[in-house]
Parts: sequence; C-alpha cells; structure tokens
Amino acid sequence: MLRTTLAGLRMHKGRLVTTALAIALGVMFVSGTLVFSDTLRESFSSQVMGSAERMDAVVLPAQGSEDPVSGDVLDEVRELPEIDRAAGVTMGDAPLLDKDGRAVGSVPTAGVSVGEPTRFSADEGELPDRPGEAALATSTAEATGYEVGDSATVLGPDEQKHEFTVTGLIDFGTEPSLAYRGAVAFTSPVAAEMTGAEGYSEIDALAAEGVSAQQAADAVSAVAGDGTEVLTGQELGDRLAEQAGAQADALATGLLLFALVSVVVAAIVISNTFAILVAQRQREMALLRCVGAVRRQVFTAVVTEALVVGLLASALGVLAGVGLGYAGFAVGAEAFDADAGSADVVVKAQTVLIGLAVGTVTTLIAAVLPARRATLVPPLAALRTSATATALDTRVGILRMATGTVLLLASAGVVALARQTDDPETGLYLVVGAGFVAFAGVIVLSPLLVRAAVAAVSPLMRALGVSTALAADNARRNPRRAATAMIALTVGATLITGYSVVNASMMATTTDMLDRQFPMDYQVRAQFAEEGPGVPPEVARDLRESPEVAEVVAQRSATAETGDGFVRYTTFRGVPPEEAAGGGTDAGDLADVGPGRVAVVSDVAGERGVGDTLALTTGEGERDYEIAALVEGAQSSWSVLMDPEDFSSAFPEVRGDEMLMVSGAESAGDEELRDAVYAAVEDRPTLQVDSMAQMRRQYEDVLNTAFLAVVAMLGLAVVIAVFGIANTLALSVLERTRESAMLRAMGLKRAQLRVMLMWEAVLMCLVGALVGIGLGVFFGWAASAAVLDDLLFRVPTAQIAAFLAAAVAAGLLASVLPSRRAARTSITAAMASE
Amino acid sequence: MSQSAAKAAPASDPTHAPPVVTSRDLVKVYGRADSAVHALDGVTVDFARGAFTAIMGPSGSGKSTLMHCLAGLDTVTSGTVHLGRTEITRLRDKQLTLLRRDRIGFIFQSFNLLPMLTAEQNILLPGRIAKRRHDPARFKRIVEVVGLGDRLGHLPSALSGGQQQRVAVARALLGDPEVVYADEPTGNLDSRSGAEVLGFLRDSARDLGQTVIMVTHDPVAAAYADRVVFLRDGRLVDEVHQPTAETVLDRLVKLES
Repeated sequence: MLRTTLAGLRMHKGRLVTTALAIALGVMFVSGTLVFSDTLRESFSSQVMGSAERMDAVVLPAQGSEDPVSGDVLDEVRELPEIDRAAGVTMGDAPLLDKDGRAVGSVPTAGVSVGEPTRFSADEGELPDRPGEAALATSTAEATGYEVGDSATVLGPDEQKHEFTVTGLIDFGTEPSLAYRGAVAFTSPVAAEMTGAEGYSEIDALAAEGVSAQQAADAVSAVAGDGTEVLTGQELGDRLAEQAGAQADALATGLLLFALVSVVVAAIVISNTFAILVAQRQREMALLRCVGAVRRQVFTAVVTEALVVGLLASALGVLAGVGLGYAGFAVGAEAFDADAGSADVVVKAQTVLIGLAVGTVTTLIAAVLPARRATLVPPLAALRTSATATALDTRVGILRMATGTVLLLASAGVVALARQTDDPETGLYLVVGAGFVAFAGVIVLSPLLVRAAVAAVSPLMRALGVSTALAADNARRNPRRAATAMIALTVGATLITGYSVVNASMMATTTDMLDRQFPMDYQVRAQFAEEGPGVPPEVARDLRESPEVAEVVAQRSATAETGDGFVRYTTFRGVPPEEAAGGGTDAGDLADVGPGRVAVVSDVAGERGVGDTLALTTGEGERDYEIAALVEGAQSSWSVLMDPEDFSSAFPEVRGDEMLMVSGAESAGDEELRDAVYAAVEDRPTLQVDSMAQMRRQYEDVLNTAFLAVVAMLGLAVVIAVFGIANTLALSVLERTRESAMLRAMGLKRAQLRVMLMWEAVLMCLVGALVGIGLGVFFGWAASAAVLDDLLFRVPTAQIAAFLAAAVAAGLLASVLPSRRAARTSITAAMASE
Repeated sequence: MSQSAAKAAPASDPTHAPPVVTSRDLVKVYGRADSAVHALDGVTVDFARGAFTAIMGPSGSGKSTLMHCLAGLDTVTSGTVHLGRTEITRLRDKQLTLLRRDRIGFIFQSFNLLPMLTAEQNILLPGRIAKRRHDPARFKRIVEVVGLGDRLGHLPSALSGGQQQRVAVARALLGDPEVVYADEPTGNLDSRSGAEVLGFLRDSARDLGQTVIMVTHDPVAAAYADRVVFLRDGRLVDEVHQPTAETVLDRLVKLES
C-alpha cells in the first residue's frame, strides 16, 4: 500500500508543487521569525554580557528603590582589600543642545559618568578623560548629527551653557534608561557637576589580584548596606540579557501572530488541493477498493501522501526560513540597536523541530477531511464512466444557508453588544470574537456566495463574449471548490482591509480632534521633568506681543489626589474655554465655564448634573464649584476645566504654563512665524517648540509605516492564497482537458481559451477579495468604534481600490501557467486520453 | 423550414455528387526514424457532397488518424487535404481553428457536452464561439428532428446518454457546416439510442444535404451510411456503396484474414 502511495505521489508530483509551496511559505515565515528573534536575542545578550562581564562586583539600588547608592558606599568599597578599584556611575539630567541651540528631545538627555573602571567602552573615538570632554550615545549622535571632534553644548543644573569636545561615541545598546532619552558621558567629577545628582545609580568594582568575582561581590555586599543590591558582573549580565531578550520576545510574538495567519491560509489551500485530488482520483481510489483495499487503507494512503508532502515542504520551508531570518536580521538589526556584525545566525534545534512540526501537522490536519471523503468512495465508482457527468452536484442544502445566517446574525449581535460596552478592551475582544464567528458563517455560506456573486456578474460576462461567458459558467460549476480557494484569499483581504479601515479612521479621528481644538500652528512646552517649572509666563507674554502671532493659549494644569484617585485640573488663558478645549459636551455648555463654574468629566461629577454644586479637592483644600458642563471621560485630557482666576486661587503654587498653543497671524508667513516663536524662546533652550504641521506629518508617517509593515506581513498570506487559486485552476484544467480539446475542435482559439481561464481566476480572486473587503470594512469599523468613542469612520477607498487591483493582477498571474498548459495541449492527444 | 432543406436535394446516389472533402497521398508518420509508425500510408479518397460516409477498419488501421487529419485537428506528414477549394494542409493553426469553427461540425464518442451549460446552450455554443447568429427556423427544425423539444433547458447530467448525443448532433448540425465529422458517435450508447442517433445522421444527409463522415468499428452503424471505406495499416483497401450490416461485416472479416 505504501509503495502504491509513493508511486502515486511520484506520478502526480506536478499537482502537489503549489501545495508544497504553500506549506513551505508558511513554515518559512514561522522558522524565519524564530531564527530572527533568536539571533536578535543572542546579539543583544552578547552586547550586554560583554559590557557587564568586565566588572567583578556591581552595586545597584535595591529593586524597587528610587534612592541612589550613597557616596559613602563607594568610599567603603574602595577601602576593601578585595577590591582593586571601583567607580560610581552618576546619572541625572544633562540637556544636550542640538546644532540650533535647542535642547534635544522631549525628555532631557541623561548625563552619565564613565569613571575608571566603567562598563562602557567607546564605539568610535575615546571615552572622555578631561573636564572639557564628553562622549555621546551613538543614538544621540545620530539624532543630532554631532560627530567626534565637534563641539557640543550641554546645560548645567541652572541652565548655564557648557562647551564640550566630543571625544567619542558610546553604544549603550539596550541599556533601558538610556535607550530612549539619549545620553552624554563625562568624567566622574564633571558628571556630578553637570547633573547636580547626588549618589550613584551604580557602583562598578574590579576585584584585586587573586580575588574571585564572587568573593569580591561578597565583600562589597558586607559594606553596601541596606537599600542596595550587589551582583557579580556575570549576574548583572544575565539580568540585562533577560531584559533585552524580552524585547526580542515581544517582537517574535507579534511576528508569529502574522505567521499564524499564513499557516492558517496555507492549511486552507492544502485542504482544498487534497479534496480536489481525491475527487479526481475517485476511480483510482475505487479501483483500490475493488482490488481489496479496506477503507482504513485508503484513508492511510491519503494521509501518508500528506505526511510525505508536508515533511518535504516543511524541510524546504525551514531552510528558506533560516535564510529569511538571517536576511531579516542583517537588514533590520539597525532598527533594534543590535549590532549586525556581532552575532552569527542562531538556528536552534528547537526552531527546526517547530518548523517541521508546524508544516507537517498543518498538512496532516488539512488532509484528514479529504482522506475521510476518499474512504466513502464506493468500489463501484471504478466502473462508472465519466466523472464530468456527476461533477455538477451543486446542491447546497438549506441547512448550510440556515447555519451561515445564524452565525452571521450571532456575529452582528455580538458587535451590537460590543457597541453597548463601555470598556474599550472588552469591546475589542467582543469584536474580535464576532469576527471569528462571522468568518465561520462566511465559510459555511461561501459556496452560495460564489454562486450568487457569479450569477450577479454573469449577464455582463455573457454579453462580453463567449470566453467570459464560459468563464462565468466554469466559476459556478464547482462552487465548493471555488469557495475554498476564495476563502483563503478572503482571510488576507479581511485583515488588510480591516486594518486599513482602522488606520484611516484613527487618522481621521485624530486629525478632527486636533482641528476642533484651538487652531494652533506651534506648541511650546517644557522638557519633561518632575516638578518642573513649566513654561515661564514671560514666554506667553512675549509671544502675545509679537505681531506675527495672532493668539496664544496658555494651558495650566495641576493634579490633586482625592480618595478615589487623581483629578487633573486645567485652565486656559488667552481664549474662551469652549474655543480652547473644543469637543462636545454631554450636558451644559463649555462657554458657561467662568468664575465659580467648572466643566467636569462625568466620572468626577458622579450623580450630579449641570447646575449642581460639587466639592473639589484643590491645592488650597476643599472648595465648592457649580457644574457648568459635563463631558465624556475618555475624550478630554482634563477632568476639571476651570476659570483662570479660580485656578490661580485654587493652585497658587502653579506659576508656569504647561503648554502654550500659538496660532499665527493671517499676515505672517510660515518662516516669519517660525522665527518669531523661536525668538521668544531663544533664552530658554530647554523649551520644546513643535510645529503642528510637522507633528501631523510625523503622526501620519508613523501610521502609514505601521500600515505598510502590517500589509507586508499579511502579504505573504495573500501570496499563499494566490498559490491556492492557481493550484485550483491548474487542477481544474487537468480535469477539463477533454473539454478544452473539444472547445478547440469546435473552433475556440487558443487565446480565447486562455482568456476564459484568466477570467475564471480573476473572478475567483475578485469574489474572495470583495467578501474580505466587506468583512474588513465592517469589522474595522466595529473594532475602531469599540476603542474610540467619537470615531470618524473612514473607508480608505484608494487603498481598497489598490488592493482590488492587486487581487485582479494576482488572478491574472494565477492563471498564467494553467492557461498556457490548457492552450498548449494537442487536441487529438486530449481526445484520445481519458 | 423547407427552404433550408430544399437547398441540396438528395440525388438518387449522393456518393456520385462532386466531392467536398478530398485527400491525396495522405501520409502521417508518428515517431521518427527507426521507431516510426506509419499511421497513414498514402490515403487518397474523396467524400461526396451530401453523402453519409463511414470509415471502417480494425483497431490501429488509422481510421481515427484519417478523420483527425481530414478535420484539421492533426497535422499531416505529407499529402494534401482539401475542404471545398481550401487546401487545409497548408493552413496554420489559427486559420485551422477558424476553418473548424466556421465550416466543420463535430460529434464525439463521449458526448463532450459542457456540463455547466443546458442542452440549448450547448447546441448554440459553436455559434457563440463564431459570433454567428443562428437561424431560428433551422434551430427549431433540428431540435424537432432530434426530438429534444422538452429537454432543452436541462443540464447534460439530467439527460440520458442517447439524449446527450442527440444534443451533440444538433450542435454539429446547427451551423450548417460543410462537413460533419462523427467519431464513434454510438460507442457509448445502447443499441436503441445508437440507432436513433444514426438515423438522424442519415436523415440529415438525405433531407438537409449534410455531408457526414463517420468513423466507426460497428458494422451495424456503418450500414446506415451511403458508402463505407475500409482502411487497413494506414491504406485505403476497399469500399462498399449502399452497404448493409452483412456486406460490411463480410468485408471486415476478409480484411482481418
């Protein structure tokens, strides 16, 4: 029996090539992801291990403690006979100015000391060892354009400017606190002076000659005292590697989700191929039964075939995956601050096994149903003449219709429920669940959908000519087969469309929110620092005096803790509250906010309504206010909106503005306004000036990049689905060899035959894409509506049109090989062969 | 409907009418050099307009190959085939396709209807391929003659074998082709259905003046023809006019010996 199976496989290997490709692509994605993340993790950990292992003992503040290690500890550690030398790492704010003289980043850059010894080494140039020298983090240098040898300005604790010569660049890698904000490194005394920080964030020590790291750590531990933690360099390395690994793990999880989509699509494709093959080989199966094979043997034969194909294809997929993972690492390493040259590609045995298992098991599962169907072939089928006479069993039961409808209705019900839910997270889960239910419904209904869709377009296709008319009829002749091929494409189409709708709606909603707010051109805010002074009131005053500026809204905020949590008080100076805050209200009017009258979010108001009196905890104790307006909680950044006068008396200690919103005068040009704004903040380099136009552009760039990345990830699922459609078509062509020959004998030109098959494929792709687009638009809406209350629903027609065009192109591509084959077959040979 | 029928009045012996299909020294060799097989080895034969001719011969005699070459489905190694004044052996694939489309009708052994088209759509298919308007009167008459009136809306799967083959006959006849080729048209039919189909082919030659060339190995089927030509080893070896099943069988037995 096994020999028969293998002989059959060899004979039909052409029919299984595309199936094998579908599996291989899915497996490639899975194993590629694993190789990529393993390599990335290895690269991260080799980096951090390298830096940590240089030390023998390291003192850190105890986990959870905010206090640095005191300077006394360093002195005591230095005294220890087990320690050769030790240095403390000072860390604090040291705002670096860019070449335009503005502070870099919304958070001040960190000032770090590199003493002797230090864990860090210069990637380029040298570490600073003189007062006038500094080294920059590589990421910071990249962001600002500073190079070794340049002169850079750093602000001291009182904002006085200090010049430093850049001596080197340090790759801090994944060091958690430095990766985001960037860093400037100084010698220890300079760092202490520039940051004004006391104590150390870390003490690094080297053991004396003949003392082991563990002995050194034990000795240090004895003097370090409470509130500290002492590790050997090795232990610190392990901990840092673990933290860095978490980043790689998160990435791997995300990628694996996309890989899962590809694998599912591949499973659908495989299942369809086996179903078709079993149908085509009905006589073969029946013959086996005739000569005495029991059902079990027929089942085993099909499953064995799947096993062999699955294993071979998975092996191919794993190989391709290793290549993909390595290529991905080589290309993407930079984006993750990993050193592409530092690690060899990591292929764990586990990766190979997982890849093989995923591919093989998927293939087996996909083949079980077709294999079962094969066992149902009665031996008598071998004696029946023509398969074409029975091929048109398109009866799709009422049961199917009923089940599908129930599922779709259930899904709609869950979406309706999700609309009622206040909690966005629950809503989102409900929508995702509804999506799965709806998809199940579509799968059940898909043969009907195919028939209905083809019936809808067939008058048009009939009118176009004989090739298109035949294509329409062909697409309808085996709806279940066409439906499964189509469903594979629907998966990708739904996800891509859904994401594009979410993306477009988010963009539109955010843009609209910005538009409804005060129409600002520039925003000025202080660098983020706890208890920071904010933007000095003089800046607002200066800006108001500038002729290029039309209006300046100064936003001030304070947070007060109540029994229930934090309440955020905000006021706007410069324009009436309804203009500054924007947005709608649930009750009352923002314009009514004035002395003694506040607008509050419903959570804070509790049971009270407009006109009621509300007691609020302020900086000066509890005070009573009248409620002028109520707003929905999620859509505002404040919980209480006050009149400026009320705010001043409630929070007299808040003297700076949190943020200034600047709108330009009609008469002022872009350049003039820009110059005016920058002139007003010239003496205050730490203030951050952002152009709204630029921020919007950046925001859109981020969303668009994310969209492209997601589409690229889902693209593979679409490619696999197109393989499936090509395969379905190729198998149908084989089945219809005689039919094609007859059509050619009757005078159908080769080109017409090709056009017929081309349209058949395009039709399949279009139906699959359209069903997916329908689902995607609906669930994209449901998902974004669950998350955003004030959603502006947008259907990105251009993107969807592009996707449809891609689907048509994919259909054309899918039909190329099958139609060539069909058109080439000799008429007489096809007539003679059965 | 009598107009179209009157076009070619049947002569007393239609085989004496001028030929519509002629072949001269037709040679078809499969394979090359040492392994060459001469499927046709110099066949010269004429088929008269309005005649129903059967081509017979034992298995491997080259009768199917002869039909394929006559119909422009296969290329010849040497020799010529004319359909009317057209030398089809000189035509390229595309011209052959158009020739088949416009001037030839086909009936095959295994019906070869498109399963997704109704009987009527199948009958009209060649006309659709050729973008040709069909003559409704002719359609009605042919459908009547083959007795499909009430089955036109059915899919082939709902028709019996005999009915399917009658659809195929109607399909071949509708376009008024210069010649209809039938390849074992009764091979898959029971004797009664077979007799009906053969009767239609004979009637279409007699009443509509339709030239029909049929390949068969069944003497009973051949007896419906006006003339039977016999092939053996790729050569034309004999022919019988106004055959009966007995005379045909007699010749066949002689051929085999």
